[in-house]
Amino acid sequence: MTRLLPARLADALARRFNYDTRSAMLFIAPVMTVLAVVAVFPIAYSLYLSFFKLKLTRPHRVPFVWFDNYIDLLGDGLFWSSVGRTVYFSVISVTAIAVLAMLIALLLNETFRGRRILSAILLIPWAIPTVANGLMWKWIYDSGYGALNGLLLQLGWIDKYLIWLGDPDKTIPLIANAFVWKEVPLATILILVTMKSIPADLYRAAKVDGANVMQRFVHITLPSLKPGFALVAIYETMMAIRHFDLFFILTEGGPGEASHVSAWHVYAETFRNLSFGTGSALAYMMAIVTFVLAYFIIRTLGRRI
Amino acid sequence: MSTKPAGYRYRERPRLPDLAYKLAIFAASVVLLTYVLAPFAWLVSSSFQTEAEIVSVPPHWIPHEPTLENFEAIFFYDQEEVTYESRSKADPASGGYIPSTAKSLLPAMWNSFKVAIAVVILNLLVGVPAAYAMAKIRFKGRNASVYTILTTRVIPDIALVVPFFLVIKNLGLLDSLWALILTYLAITVPFTVFILVGYFESLPDDLDKAARIDGCSRFQTLTRVFLPLAVPSLVAVILFTFLTSWNEFLLALMFTQTQAAQTLPIIVASFTSDFTISFSFINAAGVVAVIPPVIVAIMFERYIVSGLTAGAVKG
Repeated sequence: MTRLLPARLADALARRFNYDTRSAMLFIAPVMTVLAVVAVFPIAYSLYLSFFKLKLTRPHRVPFVWFDNYIDLLGDGLFWSSVGRTVYFSVISVTAIAVLAMLIALLLNETFRGRRILSAILLIPWAIPTVANGLMWKWIYDSGYGALNGLLLQLGWIDKYLIWLGDPDKTIPLIANAFVWKEVPLATILILVTMKSIPADLYRAAKVDGANVMQRFVHITLPSLKPGFALVAIYETMMAIRHFDLFFILTEGGPGEASHVSAWHVYAETFRNLSFGTGSALAYMMAIVTFVLAYFIIRTLGRRI
Repeated sequence: MSTKPAGYRYRERPRLPDLAYKLAIFAASVVLLTYVLAPFAWLVSSSFQTEAEIVSVPPHWIPHEPTLENFEAIFFYDQEEVTYESRSKADPASGGYIPSTAKSLLPAMWNSFKVAIAVVILNLLVGVPAAYAMAKIRFKGRNASVYTILTTRVIPDIALVVPFFLVIKNLGLLDSLWALILTYLAITVPFTVFILVGYFESLPDDLDKAARIDGCSRFQTLTRVFLPLAVPSLVAVILFTFLTSWNEFLLALMFTQTQAAQTLPIIVASFTSDFTISFSFINAAGVVAVIPPVIVAIMFERYIVSGLTAGAVKG
């Protein structure tokens, strides 16, 4: 590297830093450049944009408006109802993900024939594109010819076909179900790792003391899984808050505003109202919420590296 | 008896609970398989049904007269032109219609592939040296760089869309594959570095010292000693990066407009919002989109699981 630089600069660098530091800087330079351009700069730029009234319908007048965009948003009823929907979506999704992942991890933690095939198949939802996941569930939920209606009718649980995604009360839980189906495999893997790290001695000791299966689960397994649950809860909450794809494919924020969540609000403000200033402000608030949530993960992981 | 290990008698279960245990495991496995595979099986089954069969009430779980016409429309698109006449012949109520855009699915797949390969290569080029430096070299600013990686990893993609859009528009890169390749780096590079740092950390420091004492430069230590040992984590990185790019939807939706740059998820999504398109055709497009990732996931399950756990838990 030093050969690529002017001789005097190279000399100065060599005097200032030792060989290890120089090579480390050289090795890290590409990544830092890339991240500065594609991650740090956009986040800073969106903060800057959020102080302007930038509408693409009016590209030549872009006044600086201080915090007006934020004030407008906070005074907007749709903003608050979208936040409420995001919270609702996140809470039911994350709860379902944590419970299902724990049950599946309990199964995969046992040793039996076919366990490996089972865990390979479990990866399918994780691997498929969200778009394919979306169209699959859209078709299952279809009120005219979908599988959900067909199944419930054949089981005799309903006597006529129902409307699913088009029913405002059911929309968010149904989208959450599609989201959960895709997210459960990753959560299972995370919980399973934590489960495998529980020392077998604990169980043996509890058995000797006469604890039954249920007692061992409640007093050993559950408390030991706390770090795993914490990771799953935070990570999946971050994913749920930012989730956009399924809302786009399944409902486009509808019916009415029934699935108008915050991520959809960013999209609608920016690309339907062409109001890039408020869009930026929204996106920026979302980034801040994510950072606050992620603080815990970053701190623990950072200490371990 | 004395040769048997202590505690042997504890493990000897009576016959009946053993059977009950096996049954419980079996039942749970069946439930899990149904949960994971049933929606997927319905997608596949629907893709082989004819226009008439797909709208039967109640639905046919297994096609009575399986057909390949949907896949033919995707892979061999020498179909008759869709004109006003041919279109109005199809019954809109039953959705008996294969869109003319069926033929853009393969080019879109090719776009997706090109983007994914470019993103994988760039990830390895920038990620490997950085991860090695962060894991094995003690230097000033090491902690700062680790935290930069961790922080950028959690930036929501939706927060990047607005600034990216304006920058890309000003650079004239809208509707070009380069816009996708560049922006996908934001969502893949942090994770790549993260997995690789974790892996390099798990390799002994003595290797590094020995190589340095033997006269290797830092670069040689990386390429000759650590890279060959890091193959499993490199495989994991390649898989994740490929799948992330292949599946990405939001950024591709914003930054592409024509078939020149549209990727597979965009074309597939465009089918779902068109009510005139046959459901069986949409499902066939979905099947085409999921086949590559599913094959990758099942073939490389071991690498994926170890990568995910290393990336998320161990650091």
